[in-house]
Amino acid sequence: MKFLKIILLIIILISPVNANTIYNLIKIPNLEIYETNTDNGLKYLKAYKPFEVGIRNNNVKCFNSNAKDVDEKFNIISKNLKKYSSDFLKKINLKYIVLCEDLSVSGINTAGVPNHKMRTLIIDIKFNKDHFERTIHHEIFHVIKDSYNNYFKEDIWKNYNNDEFKYAKCSTCSDRLDLSIYKKTNGFLTEYSMSTASEDMAEVFSFLMIDKNNIKSKANKDSILNNKISFIKRNVSKIDNKFTFN
Amino acid sequence: MIKKIKASFSEKLLLAFVLILAIFTFGSFFSIKNKCLFVKKYDPKNLKFEKPENIAVLNAPCGNVIIELYPNIAPNSVDRFKMLISSGKYNNVAFHRVLKNVLVQAGDLEFGKKNNLNYAYIGTGKSGYGTINSELDKKFDFKKGSVALARKDEKNTEDSQFFILLQDAPLYEGEYTPVGRVIYGLEVLKKIKYLEKTEYVLRPDFINTLQMLID
Repeated sequence: MKFLKIILLIIILISPVNANTIYNLIKIPNLEIYETNTDNGLKYLKAYKPFEVGIRNNNVKCFNSNAKDVDEKFNIISKNLKKYSSDFLKKINLKYIVLCEDLSVSGINTAGVPNHKMRTLIIDIKFNKDHFERTIHHEIFHVIKDSYNNYFKEDIWKNYNNDEFKYAKCSTCSDRLDLSIYKKTNGFLTEYSMSTASEDMAEVFSFLMIDKNNIKSKANKDSILNNKISFIKRNVSKIDNKFTFN
Repeated sequence: MIKKIKASFSEKLLLAFVLILAIFTFGSFFSIKNKCLFVKKYDPKNLKFEKPENIAVLNAPCGNVIIELYPNIAPNSVDRFKMLISSGKYNNVAFHRVLKNVLVQAGDLEFGKKNNLNYAYIGTGKSGYGTINSELDKKFDFKKGSVALARKDEKNTEDSQFFILLQDAPLYEGEYTPVGRVIYGLEVLKKIKYLEKTEYVLRPDFINTLQMLID
């Protein structure tokens, strides 16, 4: 017991002080308030210095951006996130949006990192210019799924695909990374959709939020895609029956 | 006859330097040793309050901190806070978590008492009265001096621990239950002992007493 106390004491003594009220709240250092006065209650924070977080050797890293880039991307991000009502955001447990650039997890670049427990979504403001707006919604879906995993069961989703199709074991252990929409879909909207079931769901959700009419017309000729769209719509409406895709 | 030797300019300069050094050293000895030297003292008896029944007086090593409680903003939490104050539970309890110029936290009644300090568990103790629900619906501006109940990561886990902000924290609105605000003596809290490398304080300062102005 005494030994345990000594170990605890040592851990306490060597833990760094991150003297900041924002850190106290969401456990990410080097952030400052960017915008808090929003209609849906989202609070935007930005990195003023690079930060490293994560339970596995601080494996999530991101860098600060210059003010001009943040301003420019904030307008795009907030325009898109305004589509989510404060009620819906409460239901999916999202409150804080962290803006930074060159976001990576274990050295692999990524568009966003959601943290359900801390109600936070970190967004890389420099991620993929061509598909930037859509990736915002893609990441929002991951937040939704984290909150309602029982609604978005991957086993059900996998059954929509042809029997011979297999997803990769994880989104980063696949080379199916292209985010451009297929002309002929065959059940998948993008190459990235084929990486994992979760990414496939997020891709469908993001297109519903950005380009609803286009994918509906594709779904008219693609029964697999049609089933997937119905699945996403059905389960999102279970969370909030007032939710609209637009 | 002894001839008077006139001091040269450099000797005068040296003497002046030695004198200044001596004064500075002597002065620093007292001012550094007494961290409370320049802290203004407040005596609640000499102050007038609109609602004296909502005034709490926290006596810390450098003097009194006068806190106005807001039962209209968080009625249940203020009730709990007042009950613990009135029963003297906060007397001799440590300021166990101090972030320099950010906040001071105290109120661990189980592991933070002066005669029963437990460094291994401090910050995790309970009051014995159970947890209460967060009260977050009313608007409250979390400016410096705000007093709020601390909680675990989850909401509705408030008990006896509280913190006082030393800087503005607008994001805390809707996150923590506010119970009041320091109206006099915030400087006293800036003198609470902190450590540079850890937020948990070894050999911490203590609340001497925390009492309601009118019991």
